[in-house]
Amino acid sequence: MSKKLTNLEEDLKKNQIEIMLYPSKCDGCESEGFAACVKACESHMAQKYGSKYAGARINIKKKENKFFPLICHNCDEAPCADACMPGARYKDLESGWTVTNYKKCVGCWMCVMSCPFGAIERIGKGHFASKCDGCSDEDTPKCVEACKKGALKRIGIKNYSYERRLSVAKKIYGPYIKSISK
Amino acid sequence: MKYVIIGNSYAGLSCADAIRRFDKSGEVVIISDENYRAYARPLISYYLEGKTTDETIWYKEDDYYEKNNFDLMLGKKVVSVDTNAKRVVLEDGAAVNYDKLFVGPGGTPFIPPTEGFNPDSPMMGTFTRFDDAKKMEKAAKMSKRKEAIVVGGGLIGLKASEGLRALGLHTTIVELLPRVLGLALDEVSGNITSKKLNENGIDTATGETVVKINLDESGNPVSVLLKSGKELPADIVVVGVGVRPNVGFLEGSGVKIDRGIIVDKTMMTSVKDVYAGGDATVIYDVINKRPNIIAIVPLACEEGRVAGTNMAGVYREYPGGMGLNSVEIYGLPIVTIGLTNPSNETQNVYVFQDDKIYRKLVYDGEVLVGAILLGDISGSGILSAIIRQGLKCLKYKDEFLNGNIYSFVIDNEFEIYNINEGYAIRGDFEDLPEFSRTNWR
Ligand SMILES: Cc1cc2nc3c(=O)[nH]c(=O)nc-3n(C[C@H](O)[C@H](O)[C@H](O)COP(=O)(O)OP(=O)(O)OC[C@H]3O[C@@H](n4cnc5c(N)ncnc54)[C@H](O)[C@@H]3O)c2cc1C
Ligand code: SF4
Ligand code: SF4
Ligand code: SF4
Repeated sequence: MSKKLTNLEEDLKKNQIEIMLYPSKCDGCESEGFAACVKACESHMAQKYGSKYAGARINIKKKENKFFPLICHNCDEAPCADACMPGARYKDLESGWTVTNYKKCVGCWMCVMSCPFGAIERIGKGHFASKCDGCSDEDTPKCVEACKKGALKRIGIKNYSYERRLSVAKKIYGPYIKSISK
Repeated sequence: MKYVIIGNSYAGLSCADAIRRFDKSGEVVIISDENYRAYARPLISYYLEGKTTDETIWYKEDDYYEKNNFDLMLGKKVVSVDTNAKRVVLEDGAAVNYDKLFVGPGGTPFIPPTEGFNPDSPMMGTFTRFDDAKKMEKAAKMSKRKEAIVVGGGLIGLKASEGLRALGLHTTIVELLPRVLGLALDEVSGNITSKKLNENGIDTATGETVVKINLDESGNPVSVLLKSGKELPADIVVVGVGVRPNVGFLEGSGVKIDRGIIVDKTMMTSVKDVYAGGDATVIYDVINKRPNIIAIVPLACEEGRVAGTNMAGVYREYPGGMGLNSVEIYGLPIVTIGLTNPSNETQNVYVFQDDKIYRKLVYDGEVLVGAILLGDISGSGILSAIIRQGLKCLKYKDEFLNGNIYSFVIDNEFEIYNINEGYAIRGDFEDLPEFSRTNWR
C-alpha cells in the first residue's frame, strides 16, 4: 500500500475523500448469499430517505468470473443533472456531490438514459430514480464500511493521486505490459 | 463585467451558473417574458396529471437567484438587440446594456395553417408554457362533452394529450405521420405505444390532418374536420406540432440566422460577445454529422454551460450533441437514442422483441449509431455514451439485445480500474480535472 501523504481526518474535514474501487478484489460476496455493500446501502438509504425512496444505490454486476461494483462516479457537470427536467438532481456545492431531491423526481427516466455508467436504477414500485449520494454526511460511506474484501476503500485525495501516479508508472514499466499482449 | 441573459430556462440558467463558477463578482441580469421564476417546462403535462405541483415544478431552489446574486427581470419581453451599442431593448422601451450577451429564447410553437384555429379562444391553444397548462386546466372544467383534439403526435402533442386525459377528457391525437413519435420510433414501437395510448383513453388518428375547426357563435370549437372527411367532436383543440426557434427579436441585430441561431464552437454567434444556446440554436449533430437544431433539455444545459464558460473568459469548445429522449407512457418506459431509423444501406438493424420488451439497435458497420428501448430501459445511459462517442461495439450486439448492457461497462471499466489498481469516484471539487466529462464525450 502507499504511504500516507495526508492525514485522513484532515481530508475528511475538507471533504477531500474518494471511494476507490478495486474490482479485482470483489467476489460479489457469493458465499454469503448477499452482497454486503448492497445490503448496507439499502438499509442506510431506507433510514435516510424513508421507505418510499429506499433501495440500494450500489449494485454488483457480474460477467463470467468478473464482478464489478457499479456505483455513481460523481461526474463533475453530471449528465444526470443536466438531463433532469425538474431539477431534482443538482450539484451540492458544499459537498461537491451530485445529490437528489426525491420530492421533485417524477420518474421521467431522463437520468437513467444519460448516466454513462448505468449507475441509476429505478427504485421500488414508485416513479423514482435512485442515485448514490456518496454518503457525504458520513465519515465513511456505508458501502465501504460493509465491504470486507477490500474492493471498496476510502482514501484521501492526495493519496489517491499518489497511488494513481504509482500505478501509471507500473502500467508503463510494470507487469501490466504482459497482460496487454496476452 | 455585465452579463445579460435572455431566457430564464435551462440554457439561460446553465449559462448563468457557468459564469458564476468562474466570475464571482460580475453582474448577471436574467430577462424572461414569462412571469414565473424558472420552472420545468416539459413537466407542464405532469402538472395537469398532478404528478408535479405548484410546489415542485420550480426548477431551482427558492433562494437560487439571491444566493448567486442574479438580477431577475420577469415579464419583460425583449423586442430587439442593438449589437453596436451593446444593449437589448425591452417592450416597455427600457434598454439594458451588456458587455456579454447570452441568447436562450427557446422555441415558439409552430402552428400549421388550420382554418378556424384561434389561440385567443379559451378552448384552443398551444402547449409549451406554464400558462398554457393553466389555460387547459380551466378549459377542461368548461368543457361540456369532455372531448379534446390534439394536433401533433410528437413529444409535445403526446404530453398534451396525457395531460388532457388526466383532466378527464377523451382525447384524440391527429398526426400526419403514420405513427406517434414518428421521428423517433419505428413501426413496431410506434404501434406498441399507440396501443398503450388507446387502452388509456387516448385515440390516435395517424396519417391524418385537421383541415378545419368548426366553431360555435362565440368562436369556440365544436368539431374538427379531418383530411379523410371524418368529423370528430371537439370542445378543446390543442396544437402541439413542435417548436421553431424564437428568434424574431434578433432581426436587424446582425446575428446570423439560418432556421436557428448559428454559433461557432465556443457557442458565440456571428456577432462578437453575443452567445447563444438551447432550443433556438443550431449545433453540430454528431450522429447525422451536420448542423441541426436539437431541442432537448440536456443539450440546452450543455450549450448554456459552454457559452457561459467562454463568456467568463475561460476558453472551451462544444463538440456537438445528439438527439435522445425518454418518456413514460402509462407505465411503458421508452428511450430513443441517436439514429433510430436507418438512413442508408450500410446500416444494419438488430431487434429483440418479446411480449413486454422491445430493443432495437442500429449499427453503421461496427459502430452503434442509434437505439430504441421499450419496456426495459435499465443501462440505457451506457448506450447513450457509446453512441455519442461512436465506439465500435458490434461484438456486444447480442448482449445488448438481451439487456446485458452492463457487460460493456464491466469489460471496459474493469481494465481501466485494474490498470490503476483502483479508481477514485468521490472527488473534491477543486482538485479534479476541470472538465472531467470531456473524457467520455
Ligand atoms: C410539453 C413539452 C414536453 C417536453 N418534453 C421534453 C422531454 O421529455 N425531454 C426533453 O429533453 N425535452 C423536452 N421538451 C423540450 C424542452 O422543454 C426544451 O428543450 C427546453 O425547455 C429548452 O430550454 P431553453 O432554455 O432553450 O428554452 P425555453 O425553455 O423554451 O425557455 C426560453 C426562455 O426564454 C424566454 N424568452 C423567449 N423569448 C423572449 C423574449 N423575446 N424576451 C424575453 N424573454 C424571452 C422565455 O420566457 C423562457 O424563459 C419538452 C417541451 C415541451 C413544451
Ligand atoms: S449518476 Fe451517473 S451521471 Fe450522475 S453523477 Fe453519478 S455516474 Fe455521473
Ligand atoms: S427520473 Fe427523477 S431524477 Fe431522473 S431525470 Fe427524471 S425527475 Fe430527474
Ligand atoms: S456511498 Fe452511500 S449512498 Fe453511495 S452506494 Fe455507498 S452506501 Fe450507498
